[in-house]
Amino acid sequence: MSTSAPAPTTAPEASGALPPGPDGPGTPRAIPASRRSSRKTRSAAGKAVLVVVLLAFTLFPAFWMLSSAFDAKAGAGGQTLLPREWSLANFEYVLTDGGFDVYLRNSAIVAVVTVLASAVLALLASVAVARFRFKFRTSMLLMILVVQMVPLEALVIPLFVQVRDLQLLNTLLGLMVVYVALSLPFGIWMLRGFVAAVPVELEEAAYLDGASWGRMFRSVLLPLVMPGLVATSVFSFITAWNEFIFAMTLLGGASENYTVAIGLKQFFGEHTNEWGYIMAASTIITVPVMIFFVIVQRRLSSGLVAGAVKG
Amino acid sequence: MKKRLLPVAVLATAVFGLTACAGGSNDGDGSNADGQTLDVWIMEGTNPDSEAFFDEVGDAFTEETGAELNVEFVQWADAHDRFVTSIAGGTTPDVAETGTTWTAEFADAGALEPITDFVADDDLGDDLVEGLVESGTYDDELYGMPWYAGVRSLVYRSDIFEELGLEAPQSWDDIVAAGDAIKAAHPEMLAFAVPGDAEFGVYPWVWGAGGEVSVQNGDTWESGLASPESQEGIGFYTGLATEHGFSSAGATTWKETDVLDNFAQGNVAMALMGSWTPAAILEKNADLDGKFAAAPIPGKDGGIAPSVLGGSHLSMFSTAENTDLAWSFIKLMTTGEFAEKWGQETGYFPGQQSLLTETMDSDDPLVAPFATQLVDGGASVPVTPTFGAVQAKKTTNTAIQAILSGQKTVEEATSDAAKEMDEIMNGN
Amino acid sequence: MSTTIQAPTPAPGGSKTPRPGVGPVQRNRLIASSRPWLLLAPALAVLAVLLLWPLIRVLLFSLQDYGLREIVSGESNWIGLANYGEILADPTLWGVVLPNTVGFAVLAVAGTVALGTGVAVLMASLGGFWRTVVGSAIMIAWAMPAVTGTYVWVWIFDADRGIFNEALQAVGLQDEPVNWFTNRFSFYAIVLLNVIHHGFPFVAITVLAGLLGVPKEMLEAAEMDGAGPWRRFFQVIVPNLRQVFSVVIILSTIWDFKVFAQVYLMPGGNGTNREALNLGVWSYVESFGQNRYGFGSAIAVLLTVLLLIITVIYVRALLKEDEL
Repeated sequence: MSTSAPAPTTAPEASGALPPGPDGPGTPRAIPASRRSSRKTRSAAGKAVLVVVLLAFTLFPAFWMLSSAFDAKAGAGGQTLLPREWSLANFEYVLTDGGFDVYLRNSAIVAVVTVLASAVLALLASVAVARFRFKFRTSMLLMILVVQMVPLEALVIPLFVQVRDLQLLNTLLGLMVVYVALSLPFGIWMLRGFVAAVPVELEEAAYLDGASWGRMFRSVLLPLVMPGLVATSVFSFITAWNEFIFAMTLLGGASENYTVAIGLKQFFGEHTNEWGYIMAASTIITVPVMIFFVIVQRRLSSGLVAGAVKG
Repeated sequence: MKKRLLPVAVLATAVFGLTACAGGSNDGDGSNADGQTLDVWIMEGTNPDSEAFFDEVGDAFTEETGAELNVEFVQWADAHDRFVTSIAGGTTPDVAETGTTWTAEFADAGALEPITDFVADDDLGDDLVEGLVESGTYDDELYGMPWYAGVRSLVYRSDIFEELGLEAPQSWDDIVAAGDAIKAAHPEMLAFAVPGDAEFGVYPWVWGAGGEVSVQNGDTWESGLASPESQEGIGFYTGLATEHGFSSAGATTWKETDVLDNFAQGNVAMALMGSWTPAAILEKNADLDGKFAAAPIPGKDGGIAPSVLGGSHLSMFSTAENTDLAWSFIKLMTTGEFAEKWGQETGYFPGQQSLLTETMDSDDPLVAPFATQLVDGGASVPVTPTFGAVQAKKTTNTAIQAILSGQKTVEEATSDAAKEMDEIMNGN
Repeated sequence: MSTTIQAPTPAPGGSKTPRPGVGPVQRNRLIASSRPWLLLAPALAVLAVLLLWPLIRVLLFSLQDYGLREIVSGESNWIGLANYGEILADPTLWGVVLPNTVGFAVLAVAGTVALGTGVAVLMASLGGFWRTVVGSAIMIAWAMPAVTGTYVWVWIFDADRGIFNEALQAVGLQDEPVNWFTNRFSFYAIVLLNVIHHGFPFVAITVLAGLLGVPKEMLEAAEMDGAGPWRRFFQVIVPNLRQVFSVVIILSTIWDFKVFAQVYLMPGGNGTNREALNLGVWSYVESFGQNRYGFGSAIAVLLTVLLLIITVIYVRALLKEDEL
């Protein structure tokens, strides 16, 4: 967590500090320091430049967002590089009167449940399509994609009616189910590849050692598909975190259940936009996603380690 | 012209109306609705302190009827989508605030309950602001109860006018003269902002030159945008940008919100803005306090050019179970004490003529000119659900933007717009 | 339990991942054939109830003259394929909407996949700390609400005060401020920048997850054989990530065809600038603006069919028969 919040301003310093060295021993891709040192320096310098350029491109709009968020005078449109008047007033307002304390909690619940539920469902389904050959398998895979192809705006009315029939209007549960549905196609297609890539011999070996299917799943399959799970959970987290149209229509008047995306929209009025609040709220929306990534990203490499050990 | 300009009821009727309504507010309906709940949707953000306001209204409502009031604040962003989905799902509220352009649309779809009889029974009909009655009427029935109104006028930087010895423009020539002076003295400012994505800024020039937006001729609508008068008006308005250079390249794609932001930043000297904007401008930039004023929009050779009257109705949805109860709420909100208080807190004009007349006596430079515009030059766009479709199609905006960006001439753009307007409004 | 997992066919080559074969070694045919369906059932149930059925409703709407009046009354108003006829006869479709949608999607998919892959390769070669830094940074780009991101890009390219115009004027490339939003091509160039900025992190994270699954031994073996970075990338990484790439490309295509908020919120993007319409915005404006939900649904269905065709072509081209 200590590394979690690189302020955009750290980007320039990054160039100097960019290391071949500090990778640490745990990095699989690190080239032994003893060999090819001139080539290493050149490639490290190249990498440093790339990182700086990338950070600049990635963070420039975010920098703009931050500078307006901290600007007490951003109300009139934040077209300056630096705040005209530093202040935390926008954040204060958004978190108290803006209701973001409640919205953040709701969004966190929705996002976490969505991530867990869609991960489980997608993993089960991906095992089915990757490990078994059965009738309609191909059409099933296509069908899973087709439901993603309709523009969401066109689905608003039918989906609203559907959720009403399920008696889930105005509830967080209704929203979670919809988000799980929205994240599943990517999850299934993504994990399918990971599951298929796990050598069946590994599973066979586990069975030979007397493991049950569940045991094998936990100790062989799961670690190997972990990078895929991380990618899908980041995806479903962001889907659930940022979605607006369905949140607005499905939650309706249950303002105690509103999510951060709805909270953000309240600052877009009919006649005027509250830029300072919009940017502060956007910052508040962005940060938890980053934290979530920092928490889960360590798992990105665990699959490799596990694979290397077992393989 | 006659149909568009909205005559204002004579003062005497207005005063009479006020007493009538004050006397009649307690009896009526006789609804004893203990244990019931009335669901209401109100647009968020019109009143900065709407929670407190509706707490008070709720208490009064419960005292009067015994029923509970459940107010839900709806965000403007995507409010229309929420109405449509809840209509589809049968989950509409009993009463809702509907923007003036939505009332006819929802009434046409059969989602609203007519309130003509309620208004007649309580004898309120003579005391309602005409423009709002007109936009709330569909097929000779009233569906939207006038609640509050606003209007767009000319807003200008009085400090700069004073500095350059200018007076508020009285005619089109005055605007050009003032603009030239400002452009010379303050080249960093937009002397007159001509936003390309704001249709209500366009119609005053069309009407001010004697043109029409669209008129009904028997069963068909005929757009007047391509008439010589309308072209002259639109030509003058866009010419402020293209010929005189008072506006900017950026303004070609501005919406009204951008005009407001830029005015608040001090970038704009003159613009057409709503009567609700001064409060917002001051909130964004308190330094402008006392440095800007309003004036009615001048006609070509003087007088007042009509400007679109906007605002909101309270409408009763046909899903309302207890229509008497719903009406009690509507009446409580749109007449007397609460209507007046709402106007004071929001900066809008009340929808009741008698209350409006009081406001007109104000000598605030940011209230009186708007009130004059509203009363002497308040106009309505064609009242038909199909005009809502024209607005959604951005027909007028498209024409203005095409002229400002140089893609089309005034003649081409207006005749294209008139053609599209006719197609949409005549059900094609 | 173990017997229900089908026996593997022998791996065709040392480097190739073995695929499960078709040879049956079941104790109980019925349980075996129902197992995949049991595994699929929860996901399919959610998808069917929440997306498939609404999708079918959209299809049914598209065959009706379905307006607000029908929504209120709940009655149907069948008109057959008239909506489709009207769309296909509309010059807006062929001259503006379709070229915008397709042209934009091609560039956006190419841009996001190329940049995302590049970043993933870069991240894979970084140490833990810097990988976290870069990962967090691109996470910001991804997590920033699309609404906010769009307004920031609009500020950057604003004609009067935008930093882009000021920079161009400062270096003397242009004398007068230019409004980049009124021209169709510069409009979509800005949308492209916005969408790539917002979309490449998804590709980067996904491909990175795939990259970290590529056995290190294979890369080392290739390096021993004297393969340079490019050859290693195309001969070792790409074949191994075929599945991941196909998912990323297919999904990016779907999203970039449907791009809505990033266009709608741009100056003129809500339909005022007719040159800038795309399928998503057109469908929305017709549905919720004109209250022609049937017509809007028909546009949405056409978009879906178009995407389906493209996806089938992709799947055929990207995946070998046994991989599907």
